[in-house]
This record gives sequence, structure tokens and C-alpha cells, in this order.
Amino acid sequence: MRLFHQHLQKLKFLERKKHHPLVHQLHKKYGISKKTLFYMKEYGPHANIPRTIIRESLGILLLASVISSFGGLSLEYIKSTLVSIIPLIILLPVLNGMIGNYGIIMSSKFSTMLHEGKIKGRWWVVSSIRKLFMQIFVLAIITGLLSAIAALAISSISGHPFTSMLASKVMFIVILDVILLIGILMLVSTSAGVYFFSKEEDPNNFLIPITTSITDLGNMVLLSVLIVLIF
Amino acid sequence: MDFMDRNFKEIFAAQLLAIIGFLVAGSLLAFYTEKLLLIPGMLILIPGFLEMRGNISGTLAARLSSGLFLGVIDPTKRKTRAIHGNLLASFILSIVVCLALGLIAFALSFFLFKVYMPKLILMSLIAGFISNLIESPLAVVSTLYFYRKGHDPHNIMGPFVTAVGDVSSIIALLIAMVIV
Repeated sequence: MRLFHQHLQKLKFLERKKHHPLVHQLHKKYGISKKTLFYMKEYGPHANIPRTIIRESLGILLLASVISSFGGLSLEYIKSTLVSIIPLIILLPVLNGMIGNYGIIMSSKFSTMLHEGKIKGRWWVVSSIRKLFMQIFVLAIITGLLSAIAALAISSISGHPFTSMLASKVMFIVILDVILLIGILMLVSTSAGVYFFSKEEDPNNFLIPITTSITDLGNMVLLSVLIVLIF
Repeated sequence: MDFMDRNFKEIFAAQLLAIIGFLVAGSLLAFYTEKLLLIPGMLILIPGFLEMRGNISGTLAARLSSGLFLGVIDPTKRKTRAIHGNLLASFILSIVVCLALGLIAFALSFFLFKVYMPKLILMSLIAGFISNLIESPLAVVSTLYFYRKGHDPHNIMGPFVTAVGDVSSIIALLIAMVIV
């Protein structure tokens, strides 16, 4: 056990390059899973947990904030038009959150399939991938339409009645936004997933921040453009 | 191959629940449009603020879930070193990111729209502090609860924290606006 702790201490100060040699050795000698060893290295009894988390997360969080702020900037430019369309204000967090969630689902499931060895070569011929993407596409359109109907209803109940013209414009914007962004997310998650996997990295760690950032920026820029064009 | 299989139904159910939370957040935004959205630079701040809350609480829940599955965290104990360390890190991260968000919103409004609005920085900090008080303990308690009840927190906590995070963030921004 003492030897194990000594190894763990050495492991803590190793810089990550390709693989930790000690993780492999400890895993082979003591039969402890590599995931447990990695977790203990990061958050074990002798690790400074807040420091580890802050050091690893701060950069990506700041980058995500900058990206989202630039997305918000596009909305600031069309503020006068946007604040007059109450259903679209209600839909703003809905579209961001909903499409972001689909991005996370797609990325994590695609990464798992890569790890499981289900995808070799051309991913677009793999039936389970095609089925997953088709399911997400259909679900995104259904939930997008349901959200738009709910937003119009809330707007009407709160004293902002809508005309059929406004309702059709809102529906059109939601459907176009969902279709375009889900399409972009599919392309990004597959191409980036295959790329990072070929580099022997876990695609999970890269795909989720990439897809959520694309969703945030893309959604707000796309909404701004569509609002300017349609209203 | 069954198109509407278990996978389809699980994603649909989780998304519907999350959408309810997002709609509540959107409705709050719409009801308080005149007070909140008409503040110069607020639309630059809000998307990043909502994103930050989901990112910090989502990763907090994911780290705790991994610890629970590996047996490193005891689901029946809340006052442990691992949980305290995670909460402290989330708190520091949210304050630093809120400061950055406030500064970005202030700088962009000043340079692009010629609006001098230093209150944005203070509002962002106060709102980050308030939303953190609500969201982080809630993320910890619910992750431990779902795990104890036999659910996989990985499947539930993502949509849960983003939806609850959006609502708590808008409420926190409204409170911060009243304070400032």
C-alpha cells in the first residue's frame, strides 16, 4: 500500500504527454482501473482539489464566455427589433439550451461509438450513426416546434397577442435555426470526433466544449440574421 | 430497426423537462424586458452568463458523478473534502468568470455603442454570487440524491443543471439589478 502511495505521488507530478507510464504499470500490477487511477491523481487525498479544477477549467470557461459574449453582441445590434417580438425573447434561452443539449448528446454518443470500435473508416455508412442522427434531427424539429407553440401561447397569455403572420414567421425562424444548427453540429462532431480519436485523444473532452460554443455563437448570429431578414 | 426506441424516448423526455425550465427563464426575460434587456450591454452579458452557470454546474455534477461511480465519493456524506473542494472551486470559478463577463460586456458597450455602463461589472459579480449560492449546492444535493435512488446522474444532471441554471441566473440578474 505504501508503494502504491509512492507511485501515486510520482504520478501526480507527471506532465501529461501521450500516456502516463505509471498508470499503465499500476493498472497492470494492482488491477486498479485506469479511470480510478486518473481520478485519484486529480482529486485524491493529497491533491489540492480546488487548484486542480480551477487550473484545468478556467481557460475553457473564459473562452466560452468570450464566444457567448460575441454572440450576445449580435443580438445587441438588433435589440430594438428583438424586444418588440416577445415570443422570440422567450425562445432565446430555449433555443440555446435545447440545441446545446442535442450537441452534447451527439458528441458523447459519437465518442462512445468511436471508443467501442463501431466506427471504422466511413462513418456515414454505419447504420447506428445514421439512425442516431436521424432521431436527433426529428427530435430537434419536434421539440423546436413545441417550444415555439409554447412561447406563442405564453406571449398571448401575458398580454402580447400574436397575429397568424407573426406566428408563421416565428415558426419559420425556429425551424430554419434548428435545421441549420443541427446540420452544422453533425458535421463538426463527426469530423472533429474522428480527428481527435485518430490522434489518440478522448473526443469527449474536446467535442462538448466545441459543440456548445458553436451552438451559442451560431444560434445568436443566425437568429440575428434571420430577424433582420424576416422582420 | 425501431426508430422510436428507448433512446429516442429518453432523449425526448429529458429534453421536454429541460425545455420547461428554459421556457420559465425565457418568460422571466420577456416579463422583465423593460427592466433587464433595455439596460445597455445586457444582451451581451446574458448569453455568457447563462452559459457559464450551465458549464460550471454541469462539470461539477459530472465530476461528482464520476467520483460516485468510482467509489471515491460516499453518496450518503455531504461534508467531505472532495465535495467541499469541488464547491470552493465552482465558487471561485464563477466569480472569476462573472468578472470577465462583466468586463467584456462593459468594454464592448463602451467601444462599440459609446455607452458608459460600469454597473454591468457589479451586476455580473452580484448575480454570479447569488446564482452560485442557489445552483452549486443544488447540483451537489441532486447528484447525490439521484445516485442514491439508483439513477445515473450523467443522464439526468446535464439537462437538469442547464434548465435550473437558466432560471436561477435570470432571477439572480433581476435581484442584482434591484441591488445596483
